[in-house]
Amino acid sequence: MSEMKDMIVDVVERMLKEKVDKELVDTVEQGHWAPELWELLKENGMTDVAITEKNGGAGGDIEDLLNIVRLTGKYAAPIPFTETTFANYLLEFTNLQVIEDLATYMLCPNQAFSLENGKLTGEAIQIPWARHTKHLVTLANSTEGTHLVEIDLSQAEIKLGSNLAGEPRDTVIFQHAKVSQVSPVLSSDDVHAITTLHSAFQLALMTGAIDKINDLTVQYTKEREQFGRPIHRFQLVQQHIVQLAGETAIALAAFNNVTEALQMNNQNSEVAYARIRFEEVIQAVTTISHQVHAAIGTTHEHSLHQFTRRLWSWRDEGTSTSYWTNLVATQLLENSGDSLWEYLTSFSSNSPLLKVEG
Amino acid sequence: MFQLPTVQFTQEQEQFRLDVRTFLQDELAKGTFTPKCDSWLSGDDPEFSKLIGQKGWIGLTWPKQYGGQERSTIDRYILTEEFLAVGAPVAAHWFADRQTGPLLLRYGTEEQREYFLPKIVKGECYFGIGLSEPNSGSDLASVSTRAEKVEGGWIVNGQKIWTSNAHLCHYMVTLVRTSPFDGKSKHAGLSQLIVDLHAEGITIVPIKFLTGEHHYNEVFFDNVFVPDSMVVGEIGNGWAQGLAELAFERSGPERILSTFPLIDELIQELKRQNNLEGLQQASKIVARLWGLRNLSIGVAQLLESGNGDDVSIPAALVKALGTKFEQSIPEITRLIIQTYPTLDAHRKIDRFMAESILHAPGFTIRGGTSEVLYGVVAKGVVAQ
Repeated sequence: MSEMKDMIVDVVERMLKEKVDKELVDTVEQGHWAPELWELLKENGMTDVAITEKNGGAGGDIEDLLNIVRLTGKYAAPIPFTETTFANYLLEFTNLQVIEDLATYMLCPNQAFSLENGKLTGEAIQIPWARHTKHLVTLANSTEGTHLVEIDLSQAEIKLGSNLAGEPRDTVIFQHAKVSQVSPVLSSDDVHAITTLHSAFQLALMTGAIDKINDLTVQYTKEREQFGRPIHRFQLVQQHIVQLAGETAIALAAFNNVTEALQMNNQNSEVAYARIRFEEVIQAVTTISHQVHAAIGTTHEHSLHQFTRRLWSWRDEGTSTSYWTNLVATQLLENSGDSLWEYLTSFSSNSPLLKVEG
Repeated sequence: MFQLPTVQFTQEQEQFRLDVRTFLQDELAKGTFTPKCDSWLSGDDPEFSKLIGQKGWIGLTWPKQYGGQERSTIDRYILTEEFLAVGAPVAAHWFADRQTGPLLLRYGTEEQREYFLPKIVKGECYFGIGLSEPNSGSDLASVSTRAEKVEGGWIVNGQKIWTSNAHLCHYMVTLVRTSPFDGKSKHAGLSQLIVDLHAEGITIVPIKFLTGEHHYNEVFFDNVFVPDSMVVGEIGNGWAQGLAELAFERSGPERILSTFPLIDELIQELKRQNNLEGLQQASKIVARLWGLRNLSIGVAQLLESGNGDDVSIPAALVKALGTKFEQSIPEITRLIIQTYPTLDAHRKIDRFMAESILHAPGFTIRGGTSEVLYGVVAKGVVAQ
């Protein structure tokens, strides 16, 4: 862990701890968000991490950024942080200009807009935070192939929607709207690289929420007394505590290994493994935490649902796990000569995520 | 939640992995050994242990003055992974390499180190671990095998049970009560003695495993004399010394990879069948394995950096999770492809299935039952 990363993590965690409480997170469900929190992070340079300095960024790297994203997940911060920072990361990744204002993205290849003569047409659903943001970074198909484009959202018709956690997930409709920037045609490797990065950002958010759920649950077992003692003293509750700790430890270690692999541009299948394993983690963590919290955890008044509902939403957003199981299966099949052990431990088949050629 | 370090292998480490792998593949091609599941318990082959010893691969991390190589814990981790992944017969020297060596390096006398360690690294001297007794399983501190002080040493009476490969071992590090239970602390008054298993008064009786194989034993002590020079560490400090061994014992690759040869063969079989759907299901096994390996290597790295005190809870967690995983492999495999498990099967996957099914119940029991581990982890997590 770099000293820089430790410092960033420390600063951001203190800010979020101080500024984000249950009530603030609740306001998302009424259609609001937390612009003051955004401004605070922006003033401290946290919204420009991992953008190179020549493009006006604050330095730092992908590992730093993913760790901030993890913290926004841990506190359910009601700001389009992932959306804006990842949109900018992708713009730089494809050699386009980064942007100042709030932004979001649409990276699902099968709902790509159509692009003709610099104009965008089509409809995409479940766009995070579209109503609150000014720019959309999206996949678009032209006659030549798939591009990444950036477009001003003021030209869009936006229909409001929300996910299971009440976070904004809007429908965006364009009719011959003028795009601001277009990337060259992306290869299928480029699109896969974008998908991989997107999943890494989602893993970061999910890791934060999983960590928080574990904290909330352990704390609850110490505070809640029944039969004259705290419930962590009961062996059947201890079994829940251990299973939860195990899944949380797996998630944290998986996340750390993913970020390190991305940081060293040495990513083979770590994102795939992590994404596949997180399905089981999320199922276990949400079930166990609610069981331990019992009735109070099922109320809106308690904060547990702010994290469990997010996990139930996030796991179905973006690329589905079947993409990753299919990828691993195909790799195994194509690695015909190698044993599984050679495949798992090989570093010769590195597939670094190369920046898109300019 | 505790954070475990990540490990990126160096080029030298990657090369070491390939060297070990090449050696094992060559030996396999020569027919030196037959791969099997759970080979660190059931694959006892003194000739193979001596071969490994000649390579310098026993006591890899130990000081050179005792015949070791002074390599890192991570190097040893890599070596162990390669042995287990291919199912090599490493059982004979296993406990001496994993536990006795580190124990003697930490608590042993100079004389003990100079006498035992060079023999262990040659693959010629094997140790058993004498902990459990008929009435002391999970409640280990209730052991009643006792040692009474006599001129020049101790007289041991009592019985140990479930001692892996005692019939092949030369010595056993034995946990005994050297002073009676004081009514307060069950952990006080326990000591570790090195018992010569060929000494007068020792009787070793096989306990047939459910396969009919002989791995476990009962060891009886009838007035066995143990000289003072064979006391490990301090008299009365046996419990604390034993706990220090546990982090090494609990979190290694052998808590994840006991059924790896079966996973590997499952993948090979699916590839031969061009079965993409089966491989998609199997990818979940691979993802679970990767997730556990991250944790297990993280603990190894903590041990390497010497933060032993922080290690016991994650180490217990790795064992609880890892053994459940290795236990699940035959059950998952048989739902992905058709197998017919028999121990003498012609098809490799059927034999690995048989070995895995029959050995699986032991995984979550040996070296601390999952229930005991859960207790350790839960208390540790709540205390954080």
